[in-house]
Formats: sequence, C-alpha cells, structure tokens
Amino acid sequence: MVTASPGSGSRFSGPGGHTARLMLYGLVAVVLMAMDQRGHYVPKIRYAAEYLAEPVYHVVEWPVRAAGNLFTQFSSRRSLRHENDQLKELLLSQGGALQRLDALAAENKRLRSLFEGAQSQEFEYQFAELLQVDLDPFSHKVLINRGFLDDVNRGQAVIDGDGVMGQVEEVHLHFSTVRLISDPNHALPVQINRTGLRTIAFGSGETGNLSLTSVPREADVRDGDLIVTSGLGDRFPGGYPVARVTVIDREEGKTFAQIEASPLAALGRGREVLLIVTPPAEPELELAPELEQEPESEPGPEVDPEGEPGVTEPE
Amino acid sequence: MNSRNDRFTVIFVTLVVAIALTLVPMPPLLDLMRPYWVALVVIYWSLETQDKISLGMAFTLGLALDLLTASLLGLHALSLVIIVYLVARFRARLRFFPPWQQALSVLALLVNDRIILLWIISLRGEPLPSLAFWLPPIVGTLLWPWLFLLLDHYRGVMRHRSLR
Repeated sequence: MVTASPGSGSRFSGPGGHTARLMLYGLVAVVLMAMDQRGHYVPKIRYAAEYLAEPVYHVVEWPVRAAGNLFTQFSSRRSLRHENDQLKELLLSQGGALQRLDALAAENKRLRSLFEGAQSQEFEYQFAELLQVDLDPFSHKVLINRGFLDDVNRGQAVIDGDGVMGQVEEVHLHFSTVRLISDPNHALPVQINRTGLRTIAFGSGETGNLSLTSVPREADVRDGDLIVTSGLGDRFPGGYPVARVTVIDREEGKTFAQIEASPLAALGRGREVLLIVTPPAEPELELAPELEQEPESEPGPEVDPEGEPGVTEPE
Repeated sequence: MNSRNDRFTVIFVTLVVAIALTLVPMPPLLDLMRPYWVALVVIYWSLETQDKISLGMAFTLGLALDLLTASLLGLHALSLVIIVYLVARFRARLRFFPPWQQALSVLALLVNDRIILLWIISLRGEPLPSLAFWLPPIVGTLLWPWLFLLLDHYRGVMRHRSLR
C-alpha cells in the first residue's frame, strides 16, 4: 500500500488523497475526451491552443529538413543526372497520356453540352508539403504547411500524385490539419470506374484499407477495380482515383457484399500533396445531370448507406 | 532553492527531448515500434525523485502531448496520470528491484497503458488495431535499462555541474 513508502505519508493529503486526486484527474480526462469526440467546446479550445503548437512543430521539423537538404547537397552528380533522366522520361510519357486526355476532355465537354449546359469545372491545384511531424496514428490526421495566409479553406480536398488523401479539417495561420480518408468516421462518395456503380468508401482505421458499403451481393465488382470519387457531396470533385478493390466477400444470405479496397494515395507517408482549389461557381451545376438520373440519392458525404446503392450509371 | 530549480530544469529538458522523439518523423516500420518516450521518462523521474512529478504535472504534460500529437484531448493526460499514480504507489518496491525485474514492471505499466488505450479505442467505435499495437511496450521495455543508465548519467553530470 502507499504507506509502505516512507515518503508518501509526508504528503499533507495523505495516502487517501493520492487516490482521490487520481480519480478526479481521471474523471476530468474522460469528460474531456467525451467532449472532444462529440465536438462540444473542446475542438474550439484545441483550435486556439494549436497556435501554441506551431512553433514546436517547426522546431521538431527543422533537423529533419536540414538533414534532407544535406543529403541533397552530397548526393552525387551522377545519381542526380540519373534521376533527372528518369524524370524527363516520366514527363514525356505523362505528357503523351495528357494529350489524349485533352482530346477526351474536349469530347466530354461537347457531349455534356448536348445534355443541356452542364459545365464541367476547371480545377486549379495548390502545392503543399506535409509537415515532417508524426502524429498519433489513431488520430488519422496529417499536417500540411499551407494555412489561412495561403487561402486554404475548410473542407478542401487534398490529393497526392496517386489518389485522394483527405480533406482539410482545420485551418491555422501557417498550417492546416487534414483528415485522412482512412478515418473510421470519414465517408467518401465514390463510384467504381469500370461500371459506374456508386457507393461510399468508409475509412477502416487502418491506412491500408477502406470499406465499401451497400454494394449488392450480385453487383459487378472485380478484384483490382479502380474506385474514383463520384463528385456527389460537393466536397470532392468527381473522377479522382481513390483506391483499388482488394477483397470481395460475397457471403451467402446477405444482401450486401463486403468489399475492401486499398487506397492509392500514400496516406500519411508522402511528402508533397496538392490542394484542389474549387472555383467559386455553384457546384450544383455539375451535379445537376447526375441528380436527374437518380433523384433518390442525396448529395453529401453522409448519404444514407441504404439509399440507392445498386443504380448503375448508363455508359 | 537554486538546486531545486536546477532539478526542475533537468526534468524539463528530458521531457522536451521525449516529446521531440515522439513527434520526429520515422519510416513507417520504425513508426510502428516507436516507444512511449514521454511515459518512459516520466516513469524514470517518478521512480528516482520523491513527488517531483505530481499528478497535476502529469495531467498537464499529457494535455500538451494530446495537443501536439492531435490525439483525443485527455487521452495522454489520463494515461500519464495513471502511470504516475501507479509508480508512486509501488515506488518503494520498484526502486530496489534488480534491473531486469524493474524492466518487467515497466512492461506491466506500458501494457496496462495499452489496455486503457484499447478500451478508449473500442469506446470510440474504431476497429481493433493489429498486433503491431503491442510492439511499443515491448520496445520500451527493451530500451528501459539503457534509458535508465543514460538519464542517471545525465542527472549525475548536471548535479556535478550545479555543485561546482
């Protein structure tokens, strides 16, 4: 017991006081956590207090960046030339692919104009780097080095070179926090690229896994199918790659198949990301034709999982 | 009075280093194994000093850690308060354990902490983590004897300097 230690008795509160204070602090901590989880008051306090955290991040980041710079300084000329050649090759091949894409985009626009003036939007991208700071792996957040002063907005979509990463959650002066799509509370409206089947990708809590809900058991889904954003819900513009299907479990007697997919973006591991800057035009314009086809489905990341999962878009 | 202040400076510096080690980016594999640095340092100081780390201090430290690592506010506060309480309670015994036995007690403390974290994760309705979840306590235990020696050495150096 506490009295066994000679010093503990000297506390004026006595051994019982120790336990009582543990209970008190424990209670306060649990209440704080509950309030943070539910979003009462605490997120606001946290938001204010994170301004204090910013200098700490810079201090922690500094040696890492310095080491990176030093490495670049000393990496040999030959390896740099090699890398340069590789990058040129990549640029050329991607340029080639883009040329075709331009033609397709023009064709798409023409076809869309036949469908009554649905303008597809032009997006701009803003470059950002991840702060080199490791957060709690259970927080499902990353920090980027663009903030309020760089016109970052809450809810902006964040992608990396391979796919969708997440969305901006809080904007501070010089940095922002990004909620990753792997967060169990994050829902992303997506569709399967091959068939156009719409569904929602929920985070699973693991960075290598998303789960697709409410896909009918007999729906046409294959291993390795590409999943792209559907553009419903206004947050994420449509057509950006999200994940590839890895596991399909069609259990007998269930209405829906259990489908898992692994995200294409390097969640929380990459260095550079792009913020998608949506032009201030009304997003409804783009959504209009899709809504006409299936009036039952509501736009929004919180779409009811039961709502119209099986409707396939006519090709 | 002056040596008291020095003592606090020493504790403060080690805690700051522990927090930096928590935040510094690591390759994914090492990130999975990252020990709970702040807890290890806090265990050391509550073992070696009498009530230098009060429950209130552990709580405040935990809140700061929550803020910096963007975890649920109160998560680390709860865990550090419990660790400090347990160490204070069994301090007399823990202090005179041989090193390997002390390392085992540290393992027990860290595993207990992981169990509390698991409880919070399940309360939040998140899926249960993979087996790698249990790596940090093991790594922490393996590091404990070396960390103990290092901190002892550091403390000795600082004390020597303040005496001069």
